[in-house]
Amino acid sequence: MPPETVPPELPTQLSAWKDEEAALLESLEQIEQEHGFIPRNIAEEVSRVLEVKLERLRKLQTKVESNVRKEVDALVAKWKDEEGSLILILHEIENRHGYVPREIAMEVSHALGVKLARIYEVLTFYHYFKLKPPGRHNMSLCMGTACYLKGAPAMLAEAKTLLKVEEGCTTADREWHLDVVRCIGCCGMSPAMVVDGKTYGRLNASDVSRIVNKSTQPKAAS
Amino acid sequence: MNTLTLVDLEKYAKTMAGSGPDWVRVSMDTGGIAAGADTVCTIFEKGAGTLGFPFEVRRVGSLGYSFADPLVEIAREGMPRVIYGRVDDEVAGHILQDHLVGRRLLDDHILAWRNRALAFDGPITYILVKDTSAEKGDKSQFFQFSLAEELKRCNLQDKVQVVRAMDMGVYDEGVAVQFLPSRVTYTNVLAPDVARIVKTSVQGNQVIDDLLYKKPDRQVRIVMRNCGKFDPENLQDSLRYGVYQGLARVLSSMKPEDVIAELKTSGLRGRGGAGFPTWLKWQITRAVERTPKFIICNGDEGDPGAYMDRSVLEGDPHSVLEGLIIAAYAIGATRGYFYIRAEYPLAVSRVEKAIADAHQAGLLGGNILGSGFSFDAKVRLGAGAFVCGEETALIASIEGKRGSPSPRPPYPSERGLFGQPTAINNVETLAAVPAILVRGGPWYAQYGVEKSHGTKVFAVTGKVRFPQLVEVPLGVTLREIVFDLCGGVFGDKDIKAVQTGGPSGGMIPEHLLDTKISYESLQELGSIMGSGGMIVMDQDDSMVEVSRFYLRFCVDESCGKCAPCRIGGYQMLQILNRVARGRGEKGDIERLRAISKAMQKASLCGLGQTAPNPVLSALRYFEPEFKAYLEGGVSYARKMNANRPAEPVAVEPANA
Repeated sequence: MPPETVPPELPTQLSAWKDEEAALLESLEQIEQEHGFIPRNIAEEVSRVLEVKLERLRKLQTKVESNVRKEVDALVAKWKDEEGSLILILHEIENRHGYVPREIAMEVSHALGVKLARIYEVLTFYHYFKLKPPGRHNMSLCMGTACYLKGAPAMLAEAKTLLKVEEGCTTADREWHLDVVRCIGCCGMSPAMVVDGKTYGRLNASDVSRIVNKSTQPKAAS
Repeated sequence: MNTLTLVDLEKYAKTMAGSGPDWVRVSMDTGGIAAGADTVCTIFEKGAGTLGFPFEVRRVGSLGYSFADPLVEIAREGMPRVIYGRVDDEVAGHILQDHLVGRRLLDDHILAWRNRALAFDGPITYILVKDTSAEKGDKSQFFQFSLAEELKRCNLQDKVQVVRAMDMGVYDEGVAVQFLPSRVTYTNVLAPDVARIVKTSVQGNQVIDDLLYKKPDRQVRIVMRNCGKFDPENLQDSLRYGVYQGLARVLSSMKPEDVIAELKTSGLRGRGGAGFPTWLKWQITRAVERTPKFIICNGDEGDPGAYMDRSVLEGDPHSVLEGLIIAAYAIGATRGYFYIRAEYPLAVSRVEKAIADAHQAGLLGGNILGSGFSFDAKVRLGAGAFVCGEETALIASIEGKRGSPSPRPPYPSERGLFGQPTAINNVETLAAVPAILVRGGPWYAQYGVEKSHGTKVFAVTGKVRFPQLVEVPLGVTLREIVFDLCGGVFGDKDIKAVQTGGPSGGMIPEHLLDTKISYESLQELGSIMGSGGMIVMDQDDSMVEVSRFYLRFCVDESCGKCAPCRIGGYQMLQILNRVARGRGEKGDIERLRAISKAMQKASLCGLGQTAPNPVLSALRYFEPEFKAYLEGGVSYARKMNANRPAEPVAVEPANA
């Protein structure tokens, strides 16, 4: 996943683009191989450096035999016979990448013949789908009623000060993403939260820093 | 597995599950795993080889005692069966060493049995003791000591062990004692009784009548009948415990009309909240002549604080699938969908496995059990939208669109999924169906009260001492559930209200806790049954804050299609926000009531119609709290509202 804050490194042969489209294509392929798809920030950077319109670049991009297209084609083939397959496809993408990148959504739109707006209509409606990449560590604080009553708001305040980030946001260094979720179904152990896929229960505000430290520490070689 | 026939099913149901008399069941549901059941299970699996006798480790669903996760149930030949709670890695090691090898029970981790006996059926080998009163100063240790001393005096110390329990299942009854293996329970035991207990009960094997706890267990487990008994991922185990017997009966000897008639006798109503009679829903869908028809199992449990559907799907997926197949047979559907929240990955994977296994065994697919009836089921994932619990929104979501509800009629029974007749049933409803068809409608109808028959699972959480899942016959009072089954309020505080029905429900104040629970009675109190979340609040909880919490939830979840819900909800939230900050204006309470009424009357779907319920019921019973915020600001209100009882008001229909 490309860190969006760092200016992207562009391949060297890009300079030859004006003469040959092939060189640009090759460069794009290189970027594509590195990241799995061509991230928007890199595409924007390329178009800025080369003074190409983003649209033209996108058109060129479609010529690249990309992983994204292979991935999306495989997914579309898998769910081809299902009615109402869009959400299923988006689920798989979300699970694979941790969010739904715009580039992939665009590919899905091509492959299914569904307008991009329709896809975003679905994406923005459901809380499960995210449009931004998650952090390296992810904290989901449960704000179900049971957790709310038993002190989740205090835990949220603690997490906000500790990670220096608002709910639903990622820290500048992309280390932590803080989310508030509806009921994770562990009401018997409220208040609860999920950090990097592991559920912690029966917490209080002081436990937050302990869990954050534990998750940030590099795993001991055991 | 080869394709099963009716004969195979019967054969399976008659063979006992498991191999030896020594086994452990580890509750591996989401709650248990979160509490560390995974590592506990590995410890048992590793340790099993070192014991020197065959020992089986089983991964099972949850028993419902969430407060004590991870749970472990142990059987050892010659010893009574015991449930241990809060088992961490260290305790698991002790269980292996002391319980299984040393034959001694562990202190402070045992959950006493709820199905208490009234007479001894053999010599006593273990005594559980626990001080059940909520006050400080635990006398358990003292009584353990005096009982042990008394036994020593009578030279019985090698035959009977006295153990401190973690939980007795009875609360505020003084010191309680349970004798194992017979499960006779004494309560309100005082120090002078110790000698008497040892002489009469331990030596004489006679029950002491004035100490005996005679109240039977209020719980009746029908929906959760199989949870915690066997490995939910194992079809053969499920068959051995009688799953698919209902289906066998239906396919071999019943017409669809008979199934519907049986359900009519049972009086089963939709457990998702609204309480529409299940038989009627099926009959209406059946009567529509267009085909294909669909059946959907609604497992989109969005109500925060409720997790019974998750537990059932994780603990007994085959029974829900069985219910779905029976429902499909009754309405003539050929395809079914499980719509499950994506936030429940374990439930999703277990249901997917159940479907795959059932397919292989010929319980799904073409010509099921040789009856000529064909049916197939699939899983569809929800994606975190509360409104998708609503029928029409759920259908839109399965179709791959955004989950906006559409106006009814046409009802889904006429024009549902892909425009075809569709019946939608809740997980709990479907889980109850096979039991009804095995044991008959009249058997199910004996539980409950007039118009509300059968049992309902409630998830009791919030400020309660022992949060857990309870399954009780309808007609039980709220007070019985909160105090008798779950031990009352956490931390020596007074109860203020119980919230039922989640964001669509309402607050029920302390003085109305003796109401018998039924669909109608809760509605009269301005709440609803809902999916069965029951949240206990104590005197510290501000009703303004709580109703604001629920309203914010509904505003976040509103799909924005219709104006009353989108705009009304937002305006109400604005008003509540300023009231909670102490900046309320004169007339705010009236304004809240007026907007609520408009939302209830004009909203398109259930979400908008019921969104004002928490606010309205809070206003109805706790209006002085709101007034205190309006008149004196926040700190004044906090001071005034501590220990202010709810205003007794005349009970009138909520929508009047």
